[in-house]
Amino acid sequence: MADFNVRADSVNVEQIMEQIRARIREKRGVDYTEAEIQQLATGRLEKFIDPHNVRSDLLQEFHRVRAASDAPDPSEEVIDESVLFETHRPWLRSLRKVLRPILKLFLNTKALAALSLRAKAEVSRRSRDQLTFELLHNLVVEMTRLGVEVKNLSMRVESLQGRLEFNERRARALESVVVYKPSEAETTDSVSRAPMRDARPVAEFRPRADVQTGAGQTEASGGGAPVPGGSEGPGQRSRRRRRRRGRRGGGMQGPGGGMPGGMPMTGSSPAPAAPADEATTVAPEPEQPAHEASAPESNGGGSDTDLDPQ
Amino acid sequence: MKLAVVVQRYGPAVRGGTEGQARYVAEHLAQHADVEVLTTCAASASTWANEFSAGSETLNGVQVRRFRVSAPASASTRARHADRVFTQTHSIADELQWLEACAPLSSSLLRHLRKNASAYDFCLFYGYRSAITYYGSYAVASKAILIPRVESDPSIGTRIFADMFGNVRSILFDSPEERSLVQTVCAGRSMSNAVIGAGVDVPQSPQPGRFRQKRNIRGPFAIYIGPMDGESGTDLVRLFARYAKEASSGLSLVLVGEGSGSVGAVANHPRIKRAGVLDDTDKFDAIAAAEAVIVPSRFQSFSRTALESWALGKPVLANGESKALTGQCVRSNGGLCYRNADEFVGMLQALEQNRWLNAALGRNGRQFVRDHYDWKVVGSKYHDMLMKLQNDRSKDAGASMPGWFARRRRDVSPSTETTRSVA
Repeated sequence: MADFNVRADSVNVEQIMEQIRARIREKRGVDYTEAEIQQLATGRLEKFIDPHNVRSDLLQEFHRVRAASDAPDPSEEVIDESVLFETHRPWLRSLRKVLRPILKLFLNTKALAALSLRAKAEVSRRSRDQLTFELLHNLVVEMTRLGVEVKNLSMRVESLQGRLEFNERRARALESVVVYKPSEAETTDSVSRAPMRDARPVAEFRPRADVQTGAGQTEASGGGAPVPGGSEGPGQRSRRRRRRRGRRGGGMQGPGGGMPGGMPMTGSSPAPAAPADEATTVAPEPEQPAHEASAPESNGGGSDTDLDPQ
Repeated sequence: MKLAVVVQRYGPAVRGGTEGQARYVAEHLAQHADVEVLTTCAASASTWANEFSAGSETLNGVQVRRFRVSAPASASTRARHADRVFTQTHSIADELQWLEACAPLSSSLLRHLRKNASAYDFCLFYGYRSAITYYGSYAVASKAILIPRVESDPSIGTRIFADMFGNVRSILFDSPEERSLVQTVCAGRSMSNAVIGAGVDVPQSPQPGRFRQKRNIRGPFAIYIGPMDGESGTDLVRLFARYAKEASSGLSLVLVGEGSGSVGAVANHPRIKRAGVLDDTDKFDAIAAAEAVIVPSRFQSFSRTALESWALGKPVLANGESKALTGQCVRSNGGLCYRNADEFVGMLQALEQNRWLNAALGRNGRQFVRDHYDWKVVGSKYHDMLMKLQNDRSKDAGASMPGWFARRRRDVSPSTETTRSVA
């Protein structure tokens, strides 16, 4: 909430709390409370339990298990009814043994023993089902929680991506401000030639070290001796300007180098990248100091008004 | 007019919101009426030991009469009774056993009340969850004025309290939310009531530097004043740990109050400091030194700590699950409310980082206290209420307590269910 700010004369607590909550929702994505997560989980679980909504064969599997447990146990035939007469007291055991034929006259002890076994099995099955149910419930809760977390993380990734793109745009805009410090003689010369256009003070422009060295190296590899500062010729400057313009035009057309988010280019539309042979036939532009040429480019290529933070 | 103020514990050294409110009202009313405080010899709500001697004494111009209190029930007995009342179908006798186990009875105090009922014009009973209040309000029903300080915990759903609310002469509430809750519980019963509350006496110029020096506390901090063994304290420590994790260089937390149980176990955080029990001067110094005061109770109906902080121009961060606290914060525009950990972090960061907001909330809170809880306002409300009751003799005799068979009929539904249905 670092950017939360209030500057009104009177505060409205409800409004402030709502703002903070909205910011939290924005930051965290979907703002589920523990109860809501439980509700979501319950909803899914209900869907799972309701046979009409189940889309997998898991329910059939459950039915099969239930049917299997409901079916009479084949081992019932061989049930020993003596379990009914078991006791840890020896005297009672012998008494029951003596009376067993009489008891058997009144009761179907085999069926009783089978029922007893089935009851035990049922109890164990129910407890197992309960465990399974709990396990499923916990899994669904965790899944819901993970789902929410994934959603939040994806929103954070989106946010980070936006910031990254913004930073890229800013870096590109800064790079586009190619600055160049002319020598005093050239300054006076340019002032005398174009006094009306050079409205900005010379002191505002400073040469960028990387641009200078890059340009110097290119010139050197082209055969010419490296020229310091503003002692390069007008042809070199116009060539550099064309190169820069071409590079920018190509970059904007390429998939990775364009202005992210479809950022509109304000000011004069950039010239399309000219082929290498065409570059030589381009009519020479009226000679301008570098800073004069760069000023509209900087406005057009990456003006500050285009750099919307979010 | 002679008034009796009946409260479980009384004294400058006694902690507790209800007790503090009773003392505040008794001391102020004593300037206008003949006030006698009827209380027990106990000082601590956990031990209920008879620490004060029985008899009469005068404290800050108020006549105080103390009576011995019976021995408290063991924790296991309390838990057994609570379980029966809250989760099972039970009888009124079960509820009374639970009540006496929670807050012991003083038979001598009740005898005094019955014997000298005619000597008092009105008896002001403070705190609804007390056996003294329950039996006392039946003993002098026609003169009983109840200041319940109801909390929205499961105990409010018990039958005995619903009967008691309908039986007393009048009820004075601290907040509209509290009144609404009680009216829901006593649906269908008519009762005379008013929302009055009680103010706080704070020093004009507290010394924040003195507290910092005494306790060697540097940097900005938020403060919690209350019991540390309860759920509120533990929750707060957990929430603050989350805040400290997200804000690496923000506020610290200072815990003020007695108890060393659950909070003690988890409060070994480098940014959580414990100041122990403070007297009133130190407490007000501490509040003045804090950036914000945290009130984490879920059930509280009226927070005197919040009032004290507002009176000292400090904002409050309250638990939004308490409707009464939320209502107070919204009405005063003097505090923020959180409903979960994220909101706690967000609100605390807002209070910490936006000094203008912090100051504005504090200012609003101070104005709210002046407008509604200054003794001039509260005193006139008390005066009007008492005069109205004295002139109105329509409800002279209250209902009697349930009989032997009625008390033992197991037809009362679990209190938790009732509370859930009224919440």
